[in-house]
Amino acid sequence: METNPEKHTSSPAGEGELYGVLAEFDTPGALIKAARKVKDAGYTQFDAYSPFPVHGIDEAVGIPRTILPVIVFGGGIAGLVGGFFLQWWMNAYNFPWNISGKPTWSIPANVPIGFETTILLSVLTTFFSMWALNQLPQVWHPFFRKDRFLKVTDDGFFLGIEAADKRFDLAATRRLLEGAGAAAVEDVHKDPDPKKKVMPRWLYAFIVASTALALIPVALVLRAQASKSADPHYHIFADMDFQPKVKSDVAYDGFVDGRGNRGEVPGTVARGLLKADDAYYRGLDNGAWLSGLPKQVEPTADRIAHGRERFNIYCSPCHGYDGRGNGVVPERVKALGGSWLARNLVDPKAGVITMPNGQLFNTISNGFNTMMGYAAQIPVDDRWSIVLYVRALERAQNASLEDVPADRRADATR
Amino acid sequence: MSALSKSIHPDEKYKAGTLGTSMSRAGFGLGAVLLIVSVVLGATAGDQWMRFFHAYLTAYTWVVSIALGGLFFVIIHHLTRARWSVVLRRVAECITDAFPVLFVLGLVIVVPVVLGYPNLYYWNHPDAHDAHLNHHLHGKLVWLNPGFFALRYAVYFLVWIGVSRYFARKSREQDETGNERLSEQMRIASGPAIIAYAMTLCFFAFDFLMSLAPKWYSTIYGVNFFGGSMIAIYAFLSVLGVGIQRSGRLTHSITTEHYHDTGKMLFAFTFFWAYTAFSQFMLYWYGNIPEETVWYNYRFFNDWQYVSLAVTLGQWAFPFLFLLSRWTKRIQPIFMFFCVWQLVFHYVDLYWNVMPNYHWTVQKAFNEGKDFVAGPLSGAVGANTIGLSPVDVLLPAALMLLFVGAIGRAMKGNLLPVKDPNLGASLAHENY
Repeated sequence: METNPEKHTSSPAGEGELYGVLAEFDTPGALIKAARKVKDAGYTQFDAYSPFPVHGIDEAVGIPRTILPVIVFGGGIAGLVGGFFLQWWMNAYNFPWNISGKPTWSIPANVPIGFETTILLSVLTTFFSMWALNQLPQVWHPFFRKDRFLKVTDDGFFLGIEAADKRFDLAATRRLLEGAGAAAVEDVHKDPDPKKKVMPRWLYAFIVASTALALIPVALVLRAQASKSADPHYHIFADMDFQPKVKSDVAYDGFVDGRGNRGEVPGTVARGLLKADDAYYRGLDNGAWLSGLPKQVEPTADRIAHGRERFNIYCSPCHGYDGRGNGVVPERVKALGGSWLARNLVDPKAGVITMPNGQLFNTISNGFNTMMGYAAQIPVDDRWSIVLYVRALERAQNASLEDVPADRRADATR
Repeated sequence: MSALSKSIHPDEKYKAGTLGTSMSRAGFGLGAVLLIVSVVLGATAGDQWMRFFHAYLTAYTWVVSIALGGLFFVIIHHLTRARWSVVLRRVAECITDAFPVLFVLGLVIVVPVVLGYPNLYYWNHPDAHDAHLNHHLHGKLVWLNPGFFALRYAVYFLVWIGVSRYFARKSREQDETGNERLSEQMRIASGPAIIAYAMTLCFFAFDFLMSLAPKWYSTIYGVNFFGGSMIAIYAFLSVLGVGIQRSGRLTHSITTEHYHDTGKMLFAFTFFWAYTAFSQFMLYWYGNIPEETVWYNYRFFNDWQYVSLAVTLGQWAFPFLFLLSRWTKRIQPIFMFFCVWQLVFHYVDLYWNVMPNYHWTVQKAFNEGKDFVAGPLSGAVGANTIGLSPVDVLLPAALMLLFVGAIGRAMKGNLLPVKDPNLGASLAHENY
């Protein structure tokens, strides 16, 4: 920076380096006029100080338009996108939950939250950006050393020109301000002790003390988590903890039968429970057993693997892992001196191989002879997977060497 | 704070001169021609005037909402002791002077209703009195009956004409005397006036628009109508201001700064309108009660869904996004584009409010082989085409021209409140 030899006038005893010149004005109008004059004289390192925002001061001081609106727009967009993402992740992805039959992800329900997060982030962005752009908080400034400057929070209007300005010349700058109608002009020096520039000690103490106080509620919560008490639980939101509503499977006097549960309305079927598809739900094809597969069931490797998993859980205890009818239950019968085998699923003579898929499905669903039906335990789709796996098992247990791929036959006969 | 003030520019033409007469001549002349054409079309349509009356109601509420916006502009100006808007206040007062003409135009709806025309408001249909068929409606007939309807109509206009006349007269009196106490009197009157305004506006919206579907109700309906009317007035006032300036008047007084401010209000109420419209929708969507959702049901599942989308995007999303910026409000051609856009979409919004009712009725009557009767809330979903009719365009044009004619009729003398104590501040107004 160009140095003006004259601006480093010797500081009086007990004062630091010259910081600038401070001029006081009586009215906002005088402040605006003076600011305009100083700007026109070519100064750039100066600022106006007033107890309230003065209309027109930005233009008079020559402050360029702020970029704050652009930053806030970014913050708002982030809030909007973030709000919608939050709701998608929580409601539709991580923990989908049916709330009064509404879709888990639906725009109308998300708009109020999206609106609020947009406002929230806009406001926070405005607040913090404004502080950052104004280089706040500023706890120390050379002007604070002048008692006169205290009036800036009450009824004083000030213009301060810094010595760092290229045009600064102590005598000429003072003359300029006096000519601009200043009520008083003062030289301002920095403090001779550079340590005085730092934040005052009491401010540190205040921050430490308030942080410690803010931790008290957290500490209380943590203590409550870790300790036991015989006192009844304190209900902050009692009306949420005890809601005047009837939960399922409780007695309720409001209905004549004394039950809180309401049965289905006669002649109605709950949504999704109509089960009109005979092939899928009952393994029937026009009254006869379905020989193929329902259209919902694709014979894929994944599905067969899933079928094996289900088979090994539900079927293998009796039918055995290989389907030959000697699972752990028949083994136990044998150990007790009895003689019983479950149906061999894979022996051509046992008749299961020739059963249509639909009949096999029906057997799993409703049982056969001493076998119980598994409709209550195994979902429809899984039953079809088991059917597919049983078919695969039959094929595997009756395979000849020709069924093995040529390059693996050596392994099969080893 | 030092009041930055200016006096009227020495070259300023602030006298209305011939502007008013040419506006009223052109407006009344062309408007009357278009109205007659529409009446002929309505008479020959062979639908018992149904389309005509529905389109007329849409166009009528459109211009009334603009005049109501003008009344709000004047009242809120005094209520808040506003200074920026002084240069625009006389123009707004001229807009409110159109109320007597609007009263006459409203008779086109009120008189047939009183004479028993059944196909616009279902509550005026003989079926509405059937306590078995229309149990819910039956109880509402205490309020919704032609006699009381006409009485309320008279009361609304009595209030509007009275309030607007009061402010316009005092304001013009101040032009002569320069008495500053008149400003104070108007400020005192503006408090009760805004309450009367709010009540009458809400009930006007209930009576003229919401009662088209008499079994359906929304408590925020009037507020939503108010939001639309605010969009309309700030757009209309800006367009009218530019128009007056094009004629060589007020060229120095109304500046970019004032348009910037009307633009801010246009922006704010664009969001306000959307906020209330969504509030109304979301509660019904969430509650999901058939008698409440039926109103939206019809507007969501046929051609009307595209109109719903157009209103959402056209009256809210698009202008909102662009009016955010300072420059869209300060560059006049762009700002004028958005003003005209919002005026048009305000009409589309009202069309979306009124016209589905017409389709309901026609479709229901057609299904039942009846003669244009049946209840709008029976909820027959069908009628897949909106079926634009020429009267949908001719009638708003006709009523707008008549409205402009009525405004022109009031434009006499000064176009500025020349002796308003705050005129100087308004002339020197700047945005930062």
